[in-house]
Amino acid sequence: MSRGRILTALLAAAAVVALGVTLASGVGQASGDPAPTAAGPLTQARTGAAPALTGTTLTGAPFDPAALRGKVVLVNVWASWCDPCRQELPVLAAAQRRWSDRGLKVVGIDIRDNAESARAVLADLGVRDLPSIADPQGTTAVAWGARGVPESFVVDRSGQVRWWAHGAVDAAWLEQRVGPLLSS
Amino acid sequence: MTARRLLTLAVLAVLLGAAGTAVWRSVGPRPETAHSIAEQLLCPTCQGESVAQSQSPMAAAMRDTIDQQLAAGRTPEQVRRFFLDRYGPGVLAEPSYHGLGLLLWLLPGLAVALVVGLVLRRRRRRSGDSLAEAPTEAPSARGRPARAWDAVAVAVIALVAAVAVASPHRGPDTQPAPAADRDTSLQALAQSLEDQGRYAEAAEVYRDVVTLRPDDRTRLKLAFALLRADRAREAATTAQQALHDSPGSTDALLILGLAQRASGSPAATATLRRFLKAAPKDPAAAEVRRLLGAT
Repeated sequence: MSRGRILTALLAAAAVVALGVTLASGVGQASGDPAPTAAGPLTQARTGAAPALTGTTLTGAPFDPAALRGKVVLVNVWASWCDPCRQELPVLAAAQRRWSDRGLKVVGIDIRDNAESARAVLADLGVRDLPSIADPQGTTAVAWGARGVPESFVVDRSGQVRWWAHGAVDAAWLEQRVGPLLSS
Repeated sequence: MTARRLLTLAVLAVLLGAAGTAVWRSVGPRPETAHSIAEQLLCPTCQGESVAQSQSPMAAAMRDTIDQQLAAGRTPEQVRRFFLDRYGPGVLAEPSYHGLGLLLWLLPGLAVALVVGLVLRRRRRRSGDSLAEAPTEAPSARGRPARAWDAVAVAVIALVAAVAVASPHRGPDTQPAPAADRDTSLQALAQSLEDQGRYAEAAEVYRDVVTLRPDDRTRLKLAFALLRADRAREAATTAQQALHDSPGSTDALLILGLAQRASGSPAATATLRRFLKAAPKDPAAAEVRRLLGAT
C-alpha cells in the first residue's frame, strides 16, 4: 500500500514537472510582438541576404534595384494610414540627404495603401525625394519578413541584412546603427 | 446487475464512438487550401490569432502571399517553409515535430496512458482484494467514493463529447469573401483620411470599397464623406441608394435630409421630418429640430 502511495506521489510529481515544462516552453517562445519601448524601436541584429526589391514606385516608374548595389540601404515599411510612419518619414528623408554622399539609400515599401494618399502624405511632409515601392497587397513586405508598420531593415554594402527595427526610428538610432556601416 | 453492466458498456461504446468521430473531424485529412495554411500560421502582430482570423493589414498581406505562392505552383510545405524562414518558428501555430515540440505532441498521449495504467492497476488490485474477502460484492465502504469518481469521470467525458458533437461543423473550408481583406485596410485608410479632414480623398476610397463590395453601411459613410467634402448633390444620390436598399435606415434618412438641405433641394424639410418621426431620440434629433425651426 505504501509502495503504491509512493508511486502515486512520484507520478503526480512527474505530471507537475511535465506541466511545468509545457508551460515553460510556451512562455519561452515570445508570442505576438513585444511592444516597442519608449526608449526607441524594438531592434534586433539580423543576418542573411536581403530579399529582392522590385516593383513599381509610387510615381509609377519601375524600381531599379541595380541602383542599390554597393550602397547601405535602409528599407522602410510604411503606409499613409499609419500615424507613427508620418512622424518617421522626415527623419529618414533627412538621413538620406545627409548621408547620400557616403552611400546611403532609403527605400520605402508602401504597403496596402492607396497610391494617391501615399503620394499626398509624402508631399505634405515635404519628402517627395524618398523613393517608395508601391506594395498594395503587402507581399513585398512579407517577403522581407515585416511584422507591421513602421518597420525598418538596414542592409550593408554587401547586400546582407544587418538590423531590423519595429517602430519608428529616430536620428540617434540611425547614427548608432547606420553610421558605422557607412564608414566601413 | 447484468442490465446495468450492459447499459454501462453501451454508454462507453457511444462515448468512444463520439470521441473517435470528434478526433477524426478535427485531425482527419483534409485537402490543404490557402485558408487552411493561413490557419496554421500565427499573425506576428496579434496575440494568439491566426493569419486566417486576424483583420490586421499584415495578416491580410500574409494571406495574399499564400494565395500568390500557391498560384505560382508552390506546395503547402514550401509555403510554410517560406514563412518559417522569415518569421521564425513562432509563426507556426502548431509545435514542430522535433525536440521540445515533439515532447509537446507526446505529452497528452503519455498522460492518458499513465492515467489508464493507474486505473487498471488499482482495479486489478481491488478485484484481487474482494476475491479474497467476498467474491460477490466489492466492499461498499471503499466502493462508494470510487463510484462517485467514476460518475464524475463519465460526466466530464459526456460533456466533452457533447461539445464535440454540438460544435459548429466546419465543412470543407469555405473560403471567406476574398474582398474582405482589401476592404478592411481600405476602410482603415478612409477613416484615417476622414480623421485628418481629407473628406474628398476619403470619399474616393469609400467609393472603391463600395464598388468592390456594395454594402449600405459603407455607402452611408461615402455619402457622409461626400457631404463633408461639400459635394452635397452626390451625397444625396448615394444616400438615396442606401435608403432604397434599406428603407428602415434612419441614418440614411438623416444623411439624405442633410445632403438635400445642403444642395438646396426643397425635399429636405420633408426628409428631415421623416427622420425625426422615425428616430425622435437619435442624438442628432435635437440638431435637426433646430435646423427645421430655423427654416
